[in-house]
Amino acid sequence: MKTKAYLFIFSFISLITVSCTEKIDIQLDDSYVRLVVDGSISTDTMAHAVVLTSTSSYFYNQPAPPVSGATVTISDGIQVFPLTETTPGTYTTAQEVFGIPGKVYSLNIKLANAIGGHSDYSASSTLNPVTAMDSITLQFHPEWSEDGIWEVKCYVQEPPTVDFYRFLLSKNQTMFTDTLDEWIISDDLFYNGNYTNGLPIGYLDQGSTEQGLRVGDTITAEVNSIGKEYFNFLAEAQSELFGSNPLFSGPPANIKGNISNGGIGFFTAYSAARSYAIAPEFGK
Amino acid sequence: MKLLKFILILFLIGFISQIAYSLPSGENDQGKVTLSGYVRDKSNGEMLIGVTVFCNELKVGTITNVYGFYSLSIAAGNYTIRYSYVGFEPQEKKLQLDKNLSLDINLQAVESQLGVVVITGKRTDENVRAPEMSMVKMDIKTIRKVPALLGEIDVIKVLQLLPGVQSTSEGATGFSVRGGSSDQNLIILDEATIHNASHLLGFFSVFNNDAIKDVTLYKGDIPAAYGGRLSSLLDVRMKDGNAKKFALTGSVGTVSSKLTLEGPIGSERTTFLVAGRRTYADIFLPFAKDENVRDNKLYFYDFNMKLTHVIDENNRLYLSGYAGRDTFKNQFAQMGFGNQTGSLRWNHLFSKKLFFNLSLIYSNYKYELGTPEGEASSFLWTSKMRDYSGRFDFSYYLTNNHTLRFGATTMLHQFEPGTATGLGSESAFNEFILPSQYALEHSLYVSDEFKSSSKLTLKYGLRFALFQNVGPGTYYNFDNEYNVIDSTVYSKGTVFNHYSSLEPRLAFTYLINPVSSIKGSYSHTAQFITLAQNSTAGTPLDIWFPATPNVKPQLCDQAAIGYFRNLDNNMFEVSSEIYYKNYRNVIDFCDHASLLLNPYLEGELRIGTGYAYGAETMVRKNEGKLTGWVSYTYSRSFREIPEINEGNRYNAPYDKPHSVNIVANYDISKRLSASATWVYSTGLPVTFPTGRAIVGNAILPIYSNRNAYRMPDYHRLDLSISLMGKEKPGKRWHGEWNFSLYNAYNRHNSWAINFTQDSMDPNITYAEKTYLFAIIPSLTYNFKFF
Repeated sequence: MKTKAYLFIFSFISLITVSCTEKIDIQLDDSYVRLVVDGSISTDTMAHAVVLTSTSSYFYNQPAPPVSGATVTISDGIQVFPLTETTPGTYTTAQEVFGIPGKVYSLNIKLANAIGGHSDYSASSTLNPVTAMDSITLQFHPEWSEDGIWEVKCYVQEPPTVDFYRFLLSKNQTMFTDTLDEWIISDDLFYNGNYTNGLPIGYLDQGSTEQGLRVGDTITAEVNSIGKEYFNFLAEAQSELFGSNPLFSGPPANIKGNISNGGIGFFTAYSAARSYAIAPEFGK
Repeated sequence: MKLLKFILILFLIGFISQIAYSLPSGENDQGKVTLSGYVRDKSNGEMLIGVTVFCNELKVGTITNVYGFYSLSIAAGNYTIRYSYVGFEPQEKKLQLDKNLSLDINLQAVESQLGVVVITGKRTDENVRAPEMSMVKMDIKTIRKVPALLGEIDVIKVLQLLPGVQSTSEGATGFSVRGGSSDQNLIILDEATIHNASHLLGFFSVFNNDAIKDVTLYKGDIPAAYGGRLSSLLDVRMKDGNAKKFALTGSVGTVSSKLTLEGPIGSERTTFLVAGRRTYADIFLPFAKDENVRDNKLYFYDFNMKLTHVIDENNRLYLSGYAGRDTFKNQFAQMGFGNQTGSLRWNHLFSKKLFFNLSLIYSNYKYELGTPEGEASSFLWTSKMRDYSGRFDFSYYLTNNHTLRFGATTMLHQFEPGTATGLGSESAFNEFILPSQYALEHSLYVSDEFKSSSKLTLKYGLRFALFQNVGPGTYYNFDNEYNVIDSTVYSKGTVFNHYSSLEPRLAFTYLINPVSSIKGSYSHTAQFITLAQNSTAGTPLDIWFPATPNVKPQLCDQAAIGYFRNLDNNMFEVSSEIYYKNYRNVIDFCDHASLLLNPYLEGELRIGTGYAYGAETMVRKNEGKLTGWVSYTYSRSFREIPEINEGNRYNAPYDKPHSVNIVANYDISKRLSASATWVYSTGLPVTFPTGRAIVGNAILPIYSNRNAYRMPDYHRLDLSISLMGKEKPGKRWHGEWNFSLYNAYNRHNSWAINFTQDSMDPNITYAEKTYLFAIIPSLTYNFKFF
């Protein structure tokens, strides 16, 4: 609701002014190097990955430097899953591992060489259960853009607990919401315990080759129940990536993760459920 | 209970009038007489505010108050009394004063009689002599001469050209005074608080200059009669309406048109003014190529009205009202917001020396935002902030060297921070109501202006403010980590918390010689309500919150000293001031604060200290072919809050070290005049990334210390040219064309700087600036008919 309000107000700036953007040269200082962790474990049975990299100067303009040779494990308190480095900086579990709702998962990292004065890092996350959606539907809005926009609507009885969600979309098994800023996240503050009755959980641009639909395409919506901390992490990251403006952006601030010893990033456990829809005849 | 209150109030009024009537009226004082009356503009009967009334022989004087009233008590004798006011021909009266005398004066405006001929008579030396500092008064004529964005002349935009006053963002009407934030300014229109003075996301202010008579900004040394805000008082007074004849004033411009009708009703004793203004950018939208834009709505209107009635020599009534509203609408959502204010005032002269005013005031700011019905995501969100207040003020012109002012105010604040509900049966949203909050704010004040000698004037006053939180209300308690522990619910009428503050206001003016003076001031101010806004410019989605057991009132001490000098027979006014401000309980917000629709808003506040200092200097020329001013401001403002920026001191959001303003108007001929303004300022402080981390395939920024960098410097030149229609005797229609150019050398001033990933190679990041305005020409036609 608040995001919608902001986007709406922002849309009027362009009507009132001739606002334009142009590149600008800015000299930025460097800060010290820190470990970056991007890892998760879900209820899916698969090789779960933890990616270790290090921070770089802002205009580094190359892929993040991988951190190799670390010892990485995920534990649920009883069982310990070792991770092996498959490509530089990417550590994965065995293929048959899956997470169980209600358990607390801990990540432990021991680096070969200390970064930022620390070689031991850890994080933990509780895996919350998710309610499977009854269905999803697709609604086409030809007037929302030049080629039209598909709105993905979801139908589910939202449970009375306080929940946080992430929605991911795939077309014909290929996930196109593949970066953090494309994920739709939502808390249930305004609809807790209600039947969602078609609340939008994502949008597809018919003009894009990646997202545009042809009759018979399968759209998969994945819903993840995520923890409050991870929700806040994503919300903070998304607001920083959206950019700032004098109307409603507060001062930029660092994104709070859950890695110990000053590490950047997040390790999350989440549950996943999926629902499908077949693209109807174009424009229907 | 109600009866008891009523009796109490009656008793209080009776008591006040008893005292008032028993104060010496001047009639019996030995050898002393009182000269009093009103000063008006001869052409339209408007009361003039701040006219100097000066006794040449005794070298004593006074100025007219906001209702145009003056009172001067001197020993009986023969005197020459001089009435002078900028832009008006001074008048001198030779008077034989042996008893009290009521004398109303009509001053003639310079332009209407002499055109552009330079006045050679003695000019006013108010700059040097007035016992006020850190204060600027703008008459509407000066404001009209400044080139304006889209030709829409705006009071607040002109104030932003004064030293010590900064705009909060490009083109915005929000302003920062001496490094303070914009919610620290008390903006009043005929005594009623304007909570949000902006239209169209801040590009225009709510003040229609055709309805405005006088604007005074106090940057420090705020009179004891006012309080509740830390940084400044902007006192805007509406015109009373032409008492001589009906007049129609208006303009047709690029973005808006306005019309004002004023005149006497029956006799000169009753006058009215109604003014309306509407923008019409959206009238052209139906012709837009894009079908979707055609149904968009984007406009604002305002409506001002005023009725003035002179009951008799000693009683006057004023009824003022303002209503404004903005509407935005597109296919996805619609939004509306606006202020409504009303004030009813009664002036009463208990005697020639004792002026009394009683005001009843209402003010409301509300907004709503919603999406069309029929969707699961349909909602409507509304919010309101209302004030009901009453005040009385006495001015007691005791002797020629003592003027006492005292009075009391009381105000009920009613906060409705937000109600969001699902709209229609399809909506999946619950009703979400943030509980309303209520608070009372009372004050008592007394001040004395004491002319201790012909050289030294002292002003000293004391204001006592009492703030009370009243039920019904729900208040939360927080632990050290700002998590909610529990809540307390208070029933209706319970006063469950209070704060009080004793606020001294001290000032002196020392006249070194007739053309130069030194002035100094100290003031203590307290602010009990704060705006939840952590962006620089802000949106219409304002949420005000009161001081509570969790949130202490913000406090400020300000000291300033200045040197004032007039040159070349008062042709040039030079003023220089330095100031220091110390803040306690200053409020900032935690990282990634969530301010809207948040029941636990108080958990987002972080409280600390701050200080600001600076120097301002201005050279101003008010008369002649060339008028205008040049000013330079040095201003720093810092905060130190334990939980922000790791407890280290940081630049406050409006810390702009250097700024220069040049405003010039040149009368080329009787009909043609040209104006230019040039502004320069250091960029606002910003936080930039100093590192990056890749998470979720996105480049996340790692930031520098808070506000460690700066936006690029801001500078801009605006030009305008005005051509008046030919004047002929007896002509009733007066037209004027105005052509203006905003941002004449087309500088792309940064409004925002963002860091973006390259669309081709996502590993590459670059900085990108957004600018709002290129060069903008506009044409306006102004007219007057009477």
